[in-house]
Amino acid sequence: MVPITAFRPVWDPPSDLAFAALGNRDIAPAILRVRSLSLEAQLYENESANPELSLAGRFDLVFITIYIAPLVLIALLHDVWSGEREAGRLFMLSSLPRARRRLWTVRIAVRIAGVLAALLIPFAVGAILAGTALPRVLAFGGLITLACLFWSAVILLVARRGASSVVNAATLASIWFALTLVVPAAANLVINASVPVPDGAELARENREFVHGAWDRPREQTMDAFLALYPQHVAGSALPPTFHYKWYFAFQHLGDLHVADQSRAYRDGIAGRAAYARAAGWLLPPAGIAQAMTALAGTDVTAQLEFQQRIRAYHTRLREYYYDYLFSERPFDVSILANVPRFAPADDDDAGAH
Amino acid sequence: MTDYTLAIDNLVVERGSRRIVDGLSLSLAPGEIYALLGGNGAGKSTTLFAILGFLPVSSGTLTVCGHSPAASPDAVRASVAYLPENVALYDHLTARENVDYFLKVADCTRSRADIEQAFASVSLAEAAWDQRAGRFSKGMRQKTAIALALLRNTPLLLLDEPTSGLDPAAAADFHGLLEALSARGVSILMVTHDLLGAADTADRIGLIAGGRIANEWRAQASGPRFDLNTLHDGFAGVK
Repeated sequence: MVPITAFRPVWDPPSDLAFAALGNRDIAPAILRVRSLSLEAQLYENESANPELSLAGRFDLVFITIYIAPLVLIALLHDVWSGEREAGRLFMLSSLPRARRRLWTVRIAVRIAGVLAALLIPFAVGAILAGTALPRVLAFGGLITLACLFWSAVILLVARRGASSVVNAATLASIWFALTLVVPAAANLVINASVPVPDGAELARENREFVHGAWDRPREQTMDAFLALYPQHVAGSALPPTFHYKWYFAFQHLGDLHVADQSRAYRDGIAGRAAYARAAGWLLPPAGIAQAMTALAGTDVTAQLEFQQRIRAYHTRLREYYYDYLFSERPFDVSILANVPRFAPADDDDAGAH
Repeated sequence: MTDYTLAIDNLVVERGSRRIVDGLSLSLAPGEIYALLGGNGAGKSTTLFAILGFLPVSSGTLTVCGHSPAASPDAVRASVAYLPENVALYDHLTARENVDYFLKVADCTRSRADIEQAFASVSLAEAAWDQRAGRFSKGMRQKTAIALALLRNTPLLLLDEPTSGLDPAAAADFHGLLEALSARGVSILMVTHDLLGAADTADRIGLIAGGRIANEWRAQASGPRFDLNTLHDGFAGVK
């Protein structure tokens, strides 16, 4: 009987853009093993960061676009005018006809194009290797371009004021620090404080304590509660005086139901925080663009929650498959194992999840 | 009626709440050299910046070859060559490369021979033509910029303190260049503190004070061009 509690693999295959936007995939497990026993603890006992990946940090194209590219743009554009003024050439250059179009526009465009090329060419190579669909390549490339144009506009607005190169650089570094680090971190703190989320590990502990406590509860109490949920199995529910997996599976499922509200609150909390973060993204364009990139790549929190729902749906199929076997009292047959439902990332949805 | 290269009438230019140029009027005929003298903050450089369209005109009229800087800045700048007090070039480029670059920005195409001829006509030593500008003296940088103005063939040349920091020989060379340009029909408006240099070269000298021409002298056709005592007294009186 051991195989009916064997682990089964479930996985969230990376999208064709995940190579460019790791999103939550470096901290949220994308490959899990689940078995037909109580699920919630299995979901959250993995909820810890991969220390190797955490050590390196999330160094992907989103990070480079949102954090590194602005610094390169600042270095290239902060002194477009002030550099020439400090060198004493500004007025002589500006006194030339069509200098705006033939000089400044060209200089600015070349520098922005250089940064864009440094971002878009490696991305295009990655997209070709990953077989990314063209519309998604264009959408993701558009977000990279949007981020660069946003920062270019900010930099040129500051550079145009007429301050010295040093003042421009210091001002822009402060703006970068505020827009990419301080304000998003503060917004994150506010969101986390405003939207409480139950602790995943606490949820797993609660689930386990209930499951283990079932050994000390009357078996009838467990079976009555289970059969109220699955009346179709009443006919085959009689228990022998010794251990039987019918009872074992029943209290495992009741363990999940025991923490169902907490589990829903956890999901709703995570989704709520993500919704607030998306709203904040409209006020913080770099954060908003980063969110749009991970959403497009299917590596954001929403995708992580959807993966959990697919696991729940698969887990429901798996345990109900075993219920049919256990409560029908059919003799064991290898075909029972051969026909065990397999996880299909694209097919499982939450329609059947209890 | 004279077709003036530069015509300014009752010009007012403000910077913030301050009125820097206040009712200035002057005009330059083709080939005329006008020296604008005045103390610090009198409005000399502001006038040049208004001509170039760098500063907006609050009231009055200002045209260069019939074009207004506000309405047609590119047409005005195509007619004007401007030399700041300290001509700065790209130090890592040679004189030839500098001139070539500035000409490209100005959308002018000139042959190598044309550039060499311009260098020769401003007496820039041949050895300097392919030397990096980082090694140039102020006089050599000015000659390079004058060569650029020659190549652009603009009817109006604006000079901001052109002889400050030049030794007497270099200043004399420079005034000779201006006279040569004037002979070719180029009008020159020169902002300067150099009373003697202006008296040597200019056809007219205007003394600017309080943002307007307070006094103006015209060069005499015979004898000393200007009465230096009169100029000195006028200048000292206004200062």
